[in-house]
Amino acid sequence: MPRVLITHADEPIGRRIVKTLFHDSAVDTIFAVGDAPPPRSFDRFLSSEGRKVIYLQVDMAKHRPISDLFHSARFRSARIDTVIYVPRHGSGAKDNPSLVGGIAERTEESRLLLQFCRETLSVRDLIAIGSAFVYRMPPGNANRLNEDSELDLDPHAPAEIRSWIDCDMLFHAEVHNDRLDVALLRVPTVVADGGYVYMNPALVGRLGPRFRALGFDPICALVSDKDVTLAVQAAIRTSASGIFNISGDQSVPLSVLASWTGRSSIPIPGPLLRWMSPATRALGFEPHEGPVDCAQLRYGYTLDTSRAEAELGFRARYRIGLARAGDGVLQVETTPTP
Amino acid sequence: MKNFEKPPEGLDKTPSNPTRSALGRDPFEEAVGDEPFIERLDELETRLPSRRAYRDPEWDAAEFRQDEPVRDARRQSVPPPQRIERSRKSRQNGAPLARRRWATTPLLSQIEPTEAHGLAERLIPPEERRRLAALSHLVDADGQQEARYDRFGFSPAAIKNSFPLFYALYRFYFRVRSEGHRNVPTEGPVVLAGNHGGLLPFDGAMAIVDLVLNTDPPRLARTIIDRWAGSLPWVNIFYARVGQVIGTRENFADLLDEGQVVMVFPEGIDGIRKTIAHRHRLQPFRVGFIEHALRARAPIVPMAIIGSDNQMPILYDIKPLARSLGLPVAPITPTFPLLGPLGLLPYPVRYKIVYGEPLRFHERFGPESADDPRLVRYLASQVRRRIQLLVDRNH
Repeated sequence: MPRVLITHADEPIGRRIVKTLFHDSAVDTIFAVGDAPPPRSFDRFLSSEGRKVIYLQVDMAKHRPISDLFHSARFRSARIDTVIYVPRHGSGAKDNPSLVGGIAERTEESRLLLQFCRETLSVRDLIAIGSAFVYRMPPGNANRLNEDSELDLDPHAPAEIRSWIDCDMLFHAEVHNDRLDVALLRVPTVVADGGYVYMNPALVGRLGPRFRALGFDPICALVSDKDVTLAVQAAIRTSASGIFNISGDQSVPLSVLASWTGRSSIPIPGPLLRWMSPATRALGFEPHEGPVDCAQLRYGYTLDTSRAEAELGFRARYRIGLARAGDGVLQVETTPTP
Repeated sequence: MKNFEKPPEGLDKTPSNPTRSALGRDPFEEAVGDEPFIERLDELETRLPSRRAYRDPEWDAAEFRQDEPVRDARRQSVPPPQRIERSRKSRQNGAPLARRRWATTPLLSQIEPTEAHGLAERLIPPEERRRLAALSHLVDADGQQEARYDRFGFSPAAIKNSFPLFYALYRFYFRVRSEGHRNVPTEGPVVLAGNHGGLLPFDGAMAIVDLVLNTDPPRLARTIIDRWAGSLPWVNIFYARVGQVIGTRENFADLLDEGQVVMVFPEGIDGIRKTIAHRHRLQPFRVGFIEHALRARAPIVPMAIIGSDNQMPILYDIKPLARSLGLPVAPITPTFPLLGPLGLLPYPVRYKIVYGEPLRFHERFGPESADDPRLVRYLASQVRRRIQLLVDRNH
């Protein structure tokens, strides 16, 4: 039975994976690590019989803490054989530095995790969740992309996109490792119940207005957080190695998605976009943390998931839509496909 | 072999002589020996009659003597795709891919007449409203109203809102007449290949409206558009919402996998920027649509659009100016730039759209034939010839 390490288990996608694997009888031990103290929702997991879930607070972007983790007696005794890399979503909290030694935090923790997974002989499988915003977007409102599509290697890509690409290439380089099976799951915009949205550079950060290029409203491929968890489970079961696009069947324009998730998107003429963040800061408002103008935010895409279907047996099972909550307010809900 | 010239024996067995090819040379081919296939192509080219001969009824009869009698395409069952192959890589993996459900629309008799809501719907006659209601079935009917977009951004609501304008253009401005709708299969993947002209793509718009208005169940043609159009503000959104798709291999293959009608203009940009001296003459064809049609086992319906070449005749194309501005064409027409932007309005010419008999190349050649560049070029030349015939007979 797999014994699993999950990074960033305190963040929404990590919490969802821990919860699902906790109820999965095929998983033996869950070693959850995160930046923050254990979430309240973990109380019942941590106090359950058999101690299936172990939570540790570790800064994955620093060499010493992660080295201590992999060499600790607790880790060795757990005999972890599967590592699930859940990336930090968005730019992170403000008090955390976004760069570690000049490298994006997300890139640094990917590099360190990969290094220790290679060195730890008990680890046989590494499942990494990456972003599908790494693809180069040719002009067009909806480009169908498969795993072999070109990556965006433009040196002028925004730092947020750049860090995803760096992580992607790090894991991509180990896909053919003889000892370690590396599965990289590229996911588009992840949507969760209640209107939470992750992994979309246009919608990261707090609620509030966003700017987008006037005359462009890219189509966004969507996937439910529950489907991402299903894909991780499928990757654990199959021990597959390779790169897989993971996506649901639905896609909506960015403006619709922004309104669903409580973020209005304000169209601004393209040449003015780069000045909007300094301008809003000068006016005393906190600007949007993510990139405001790049090809990924002008041109849309959908993902070809046929490889994941064939090799992982993954098919999206959840629909994303609006439903009326108890107070009569429409909010995003993910429901199983009938 | 039913609808096209019989290709020669030993198609892919003998080396070619690129200097003798009538369809251009293959730069990767070794230039040794003669090849029956190329000789045969040369022979075909020399046998092609002059433009005047195309109109000769005697020649027409001789041309089609070998063909089978015209059959009603509605009665023909379209063979389903045997294996869906989207890319060379996925074929190498050998993984069987799940067949996607065909996107179909119901028959008109199955659509209940509905009350018109809003100004846009009131401008459309009831019969056409039912046709538009049928198109909404192309997007998953279980979805919420707000989420009714397909993977390419097509929105039935957007088509409903824009339809009155294009319907008016179709009925009263271009006064479109059409024939041969029975040649468009009622279900399954179809490649609709037409001639292009007229600077602005009203020919594509009229063909889409014509197909919606004259097929039962109504079929929406998904036009493959140039990447350049995808980078234009607003234009890219409009195209996507009304069902047009950027011309990438993955997009094309996906649409055919879904059993949709894919409309292509194989002349590409060269078609719309041809000058008045070249009107009604087809420009060289791109050949990618043949590959996709063979792989998806889709028939190709040749389509002639008469009138588009006259809607905005280009007197001269200032190519250096177009290059410097990053535009595909910098035209001088009788009214542009004389009248400013108003000069870009098309003239109210009469359109005629003719659908030819479907070319079922996939019945003779398997999906693996799509990897043979000479065969693909040859089949593209056959399609081009068919469209040219339709144009010459009807203009």
